[in-house]
Amino acid sequence: MTTRPVRIDQVIPSIVERDAVSHHTLEAQRVLHSMGFVSEIFACNMGPGLVGRVHKLEDLPREPPEHQWVCYQASIGSPAADVFASHPGLKLLNYHNISPSELVERWMPHLGEELRLGRRQLAELAPAVALGFADSEFNRAELEEVGYRCTMVAPLMIDTANFYCPPDPRVVERLAARRLLGGHDWLFVGQLLPHKAHHDVIKALACSRRLFDPDARLHLVGRESCRPYADALHRYVSKLGLGDAVEFVGSVPPGELSAYYTSADVLVCCSDHEGFCVPLLEAMHHRLPVVAYGVTAVPETVLDAGIVLPSKSPVLVAAAVERVLTDGELRYSLVSAGLRRARSFTVSSARNAFAGAIEQVLQPA
Amino acid sequence: MTSEVVAEIEDQVKKLREAGQVPIGLEDELDECFEEVAEVSLAGSSAAPDATTPEAGRPIACLGPANLAQLRKQATLMARRRFGPSLRRLERRASIGVGRIGEAASLQMHVAADHLERLAASSPLVSRVLSSARPDDSSPAGQVHPLIEGPLLTWVLDNLSAVVTQHVHEVPPVVLHAECGDGRILEALVARGFDGRGADPRWPARSGGATSIVAAGAFEYLGAAAPETLDAIVLTGVVDRLRPGSARALARLAARGLVPGGIVVLVSARPEAAVAMDPVAADLAHGRSLHPVTWCHLFARCGLSELAVFEPDVSEPDIFAVCARRPVSALLAGDDRR
Repeated sequence: MTTRPVRIDQVIPSIVERDAVSHHTLEAQRVLHSMGFVSEIFACNMGPGLVGRVHKLEDLPREPPEHQWVCYQASIGSPAADVFASHPGLKLLNYHNISPSELVERWMPHLGEELRLGRRQLAELAPAVALGFADSEFNRAELEEVGYRCTMVAPLMIDTANFYCPPDPRVVERLAARRLLGGHDWLFVGQLLPHKAHHDVIKALACSRRLFDPDARLHLVGRESCRPYADALHRYVSKLGLGDAVEFVGSVPPGELSAYYTSADVLVCCSDHEGFCVPLLEAMHHRLPVVAYGVTAVPETVLDAGIVLPSKSPVLVAAAVERVLTDGELRYSLVSAGLRRARSFTVSSARNAFAGAIEQVLQPA
Repeated sequence: MTSEVVAEIEDQVKKLREAGQVPIGLEDELDECFEEVAEVSLAGSSAAPDATTPEAGRPIACLGPANLAQLRKQATLMARRRFGPSLRRLERRASIGVGRIGEAASLQMHVAADHLERLAASSPLVSRVLSSARPDDSSPAGQVHPLIEGPLLTWVLDNLSAVVTQHVHEVPPVVLHAECGDGRILEALVARGFDGRGADPRWPARSGGATSIVAAGAFEYLGAAAPETLDAIVLTGVVDRLRPGSARALARLAARGLVPGGIVVLVSARPEAAVAMDPVAADLAHGRSLHPVTWCHLFARCGLSELAVFEPDVSEPDIFAVCARRPVSALLAGDDRR
């Protein structure tokens, strides 16, 4: 049996509010506290709201494995990985996936470099890590592929504030007024980053308006995190004459997000890479049918609770959306399956899985 | 059940295409259109789409041969519809190939230059540059940055001189060298037309001619400097002993201090060099140096661009230099967070 340490600290490159990995890290700290460990979070960067709750990386204690374990939250390349690598404590790594640099480097060369660094660091850390746990089977397989000997799946501890927050009535009212003009509302939620492929959703909308639903609208909720890409999307919408049909909403608080989920007719996801994709579950919780391009972890997250397409040809996506919107029976079955799927991701089960991962290291088979 | 539905949808799409209900080339045209706007956005064109031009807001179905240019465009489109996917693949591969050849040639040049430099240099030099990087060591006068010479020195000075070339004001551009030691590099920069400012906590303050040196650290000087007041910044010494987390702050301070179009160059020992030289001292040091790629991403995250690395043979311990420029356009400046 491995000696039970006094403390299990977490190291994360950057921790900010309203971010899935950051929320997971804070939840993990709660779990570790509940298991009786001293546990603090150490980060290179932190959001202003987390100052005091998170410590600077340079303050990370360095104690031997019988006293201290460290858990690294890996999602990007960072000097924090070097600090983690050189730590004397027993090492755990929680993998949230690192997007392939090829998908973004055309738009953000520096982010591409960071992602490449992240993948390299992930592989370099493999021999030193006692347990690598991932938030999806897709991610776990990647860990195994780069040489992690002991791996397991421990689901993401999702921020359910977006699930249960009441919708903002002003937004609901505004969207309802537009619906009176006819046409369906498409929704996609995710930062405006190239690998989220918002442009492919826009292409599908253009096809849909041409072939099926001339008044269809698209709402894109998410921070404009890559200026050239966001700029290209705005130009694209303008050039296609979709200025009135596509709304760039930006980052919104939970109440407004909830209003978009409750007011939309379908969530369309054409992402090229997702390590998990929380918005799919949020949509399911809000009884919104999902049409998604089945790549990376998306099929695993959706399972049978949405339409998972083998390609994202704009005509195929448009036809799938049309089918979901016009086939009442299909819509009903998707919404029901979606609710079941969303409910299977409870915070308590995710907490138990995380605690189980820790127990596994304490009591190796 | 959903797989059956997907099969039905695919079948429906097939029928729509066969019935001619999906305009031929619609998807290619959408792809082309996005590529066009992507190119414009990536080129950093500041011209926003103008709602008053006929181009803006025009639905794609309205494209028609109104003049010769449009005819040529349509012919290109037709050819691309027919051969588009293969042509685009070829085009991408060709461009990647050319880029890689250029990159490899440049690397080979640097490697060759580095080997020449190595032949000329004697081994104690490496030891001296590393020991000069440690905070507790006091470097004797005239022996600071002994390896910033030869091709590396030329590379550093040439990169910085670009600022002088582009400078349009009557007063000379201002360069800060933190930590400048005896001011040897600063003097070389002054000779190239800069107004030289130096900072080094281990050397006494002095001034003379176009050079003034204060006894301050890099963080201290850059932290106190007003934003956008420096045309160029040279960072040495301090970059070899950074505590975790402080590198980002230094990159941010440098980016803040630069005027648009300004350049920062840093020269640092590779982390492997310190370990190879004396692993115990490297492990117990208060700080450490970073890899060139880390500096690149730190600078890039602070909005700097045109990153360039002078990196000799990576298999051997040595020093490297990184250069970055603050874009003239303010678009990339500011937030360093995703």
